[in-house]
Amino acid sequence: MIVIVLAIKHLVIHNKTKQIVKGISLKIEQGQWMALIGESGSGKSITAASIGRLLPSGVTLKGGSITFKQEGYVPILGKDISYIFQDYRSAFTPFLTIGKQFDETIRTHSKLSKKDRKVAIFQALKAVNLPNERVYKSYASQLSGGQLQRAAIALALVMKPALIIADEPTTALDSVAAAEVLQLLHKLKEEAGCAILFITHDLRHVRKYADRAAIMLAGEIVEENSIESLFHAPDHFYTKKLFNAIPSLQKTPDRLLDTQKKVLI
Amino acid sequence: MKKPQLPFVVISVFGIALILFCLFGSQLTPMDPTQVNMQDRLQKSTGDHWLGTDHLGRDLFSRIVAGAQTTIGTSFLVLALSLLIGVPVGLVSAYIGGKIDRFLMRIVDAFLAFPDYIAAIVLSGLLGPGLLNLIAAMVIVKWVGYARVVRSIVLQEKSKEYVLVAKLNGVGTLPLILRHFLPHVGGHILVLATLDIGKIILMMASLSYIGLGTQPPTPEWGTMLNEGRAYFYNAPQLMLIPGLAIILFVLAFTALGEYIRGKYQVSR
Amino acid sequence: MKLIGKRIIELLIFLVILSFLSFVLMKLAPGDPVKQMLRVDDVAVSEEQINSLRTELGFNEPVYIQYVKWLKRFFQFDLGSSYMTKEPVIDELAAKFPATLRLTAASLVVMLLIAVPLGTLSALYQNKWIDYLSRSVSLIGASIPSFWLGLLFIQLFSVRLQWLPSMGTGTAAHLVLPSLTLGFAMSAVYMRMVRASLLEGLKQDFVRSARARGISESRIFIFHAFRYSLTPILTILGTSLGSLLGGTVIIEVLFAYPGIGKLVIDAIMNRDYPVIQGYILWMGLFVVLINSLVDLSYKYVNPQLYVKGGDKT
Repeated sequence: MIVIVLAIKHLVIHNKTKQIVKGISLKIEQGQWMALIGESGSGKSITAASIGRLLPSGVTLKGGSITFKQEGYVPILGKDISYIFQDYRSAFTPFLTIGKQFDETIRTHSKLSKKDRKVAIFQALKAVNLPNERVYKSYASQLSGGQLQRAAIALALVMKPALIIADEPTTALDSVAAAEVLQLLHKLKEEAGCAILFITHDLRHVRKYADRAAIMLAGEIVEENSIESLFHAPDHFYTKKLFNAIPSLQKTPDRLLDTQKKVLI
Repeated sequence: MKKPQLPFVVISVFGIALILFCLFGSQLTPMDPTQVNMQDRLQKSTGDHWLGTDHLGRDLFSRIVAGAQTTIGTSFLVLALSLLIGVPVGLVSAYIGGKIDRFLMRIVDAFLAFPDYIAAIVLSGLLGPGLLNLIAAMVIVKWVGYARVVRSIVLQEKSKEYVLVAKLNGVGTLPLILRHFLPHVGGHILVLATLDIGKIILMMASLSYIGLGTQPPTPEWGTMLNEGRAYFYNAPQLMLIPGLAIILFVLAFTALGEYIRGKYQVSR
Repeated sequence: MKLIGKRIIELLIFLVILSFLSFVLMKLAPGDPVKQMLRVDDVAVSEEQINSLRTELGFNEPVYIQYVKWLKRFFQFDLGSSYMTKEPVIDELAAKFPATLRLTAASLVVMLLIAVPLGTLSALYQNKWIDYLSRSVSLIGASIPSFWLGLLFIQLFSVRLQWLPSMGTGTAAHLVLPSLTLGFAMSAVYMRMVRASLLEGLKQDFVRSARARGISESRIFIFHAFRYSLTPILTILGTSLGSLLGGTVIIEVLFAYPGIGKLVIDAIMNRDYPVIQGYILWMGLFVVLINSLVDLSYKYVNPQLYVKGGDKT
């Protein structure tokens, strides 16, 4: 039986001057990796924020609905849904140790004893390939970007949420760290069975790990399909544009050829 | 030449009006503020005396107006002198940098570490009571704050690329300072100065109150408060009115300063 | 440890500079201290007596020798004797300082009791009525001369209602009006700072991250946002203490409160230079102490600034 973890129906979001999200609908199934692709300003981050009621002031939900698992159920942030943000530095409060912040989260959502909490934290850190003793005692400023983002992933997963919303988690990382992060996310998703809503503007990340993708343009979803279908038979002109823009190692794009099909540059 | 912006015009007009008032304001008083008239003392408001008279029979309204000249005029003078010393020092110090900058900043920091009221009190106390000494004391205390602010702004700008480009193009030291640094400095200083006027007025009133500023019979709102104290029971207006005058003016200037700061921050 | 050592050296340099400046100031100030001293005794004096006193006090020696001698005595904690009372300055200061300290502490408490709750409420309910109310109170309060407020309080609570004493010291009641006056005056500005710092804190990105983890709003406020704003709040507290100390001078004169503020004003009126000089140095020392305490507190508020870089592999 297919379990729908998240169902967004005709979502409309306004800011003070105009409509940012103009009635979008999306369904995410249990364990599914759904990519939400669009350029800056397309409304993808605002959509992601609205799911957890994290909209900034001045931005409001004006229409439509967001249902988590079933009607009437209000998802608990941090337990049912958790977030991973692009700015890994901001995931942690600078003057508290990493361990303390993990501890705080676990205490908020469970009644585990202090010892059990520490075990859970160590496990979570180990699962993302971080040296658990050291990181537990460290402050955010003592870790590198890649380490921090992995710690943020561990924190997002520690309560085993059904849905993880990752808003451009690799955009600010170098390609090695980015690849690591993606690999880890995939592995953990398989193990925990959680769904991922993966926001990005970069298609290259999507191909390897995503199951389905939705393309967003100016506040609307213009196409939504499985990854295979999108890559081989894109429908909407914008989707085609996006896919054509991916630099390829084999083919030389038309714009770089002169009239005699010889390479210009 | 570009048409000057509205805020600049408003402030210039206001400033000129203020200067004129301070210089010639005493012509505006209906009666002589120092004219003693023991028969008419401690009267309430009458036709001749709009606000009544004080304990020596002097017209209160005239004293307030004349006091405005003293209090506000002197405060602006203190501000102007502090800026005149502080801004150039800050500019030069930041621009030259190196040992001179460090040396100057050590002095500035030493000044700033000491509470301003205490420094002003001690300085004016040692120099002796009197308006001129009060002005000197306050200027000595105030200029350092401006030097520091100006210096930090210039330091920030100095490292930016447009300065390097200007230098490469052969722009000399003085035009560089005047055309490039001064505008950045100007906005901040305007906000600070407007907010500072209120503080200067209060400081002046406080010091005059303990006897370190203007001496009787010169009308000044702080000394008037001191004089009016003894008569609060039967003639409270002697103390209330100068006090209200101070509050109103400080309030007006502070509100103006906050308003300018709001505008300035938005445009930045 | 090294930090404390550096601080002490800076303190000493500061005091030496301060002593030099105050010495120069004394010498430059108009008026003749010797004549002043003799006039105190209200006796007609002859040229001879003036000169002998001058020599006795060492005023006939070259200035730099006077300074060196003075410096020597300074390091032996001898600040000279008051021209007025002939008592050692350091004794006078030490005797009157506790009173000023009490007043400062009480005023600080009043200031915090007013500014922190109002500033916090203002930040939490930004642009609602409570915000506008406290910002207006703050604006007006910052425009009122402290001594005017004090005079009003005296008239109301001392003269009319006869509830509280207006002069002197001795009981807790004597502290009420002075500290209320000073505390209220200072709280007006401080309230603004509290509000601004808290707003900064609440705007931080890590606050949003904490919210996304499901941490309760109250917990976020206390342990994340408020702690973040402690750094600027503490810094400004240090500066405010300086203004507070300055304010005590005025208030002590107004309420005839026998602290060192009143002491120095009397000394200024009487040209009692040793007392004035002693006061400058005493206050200088105290101010540096406060600044050092504030610096030390940073270590607890922002521990992450004091740890080493870490292994970023």
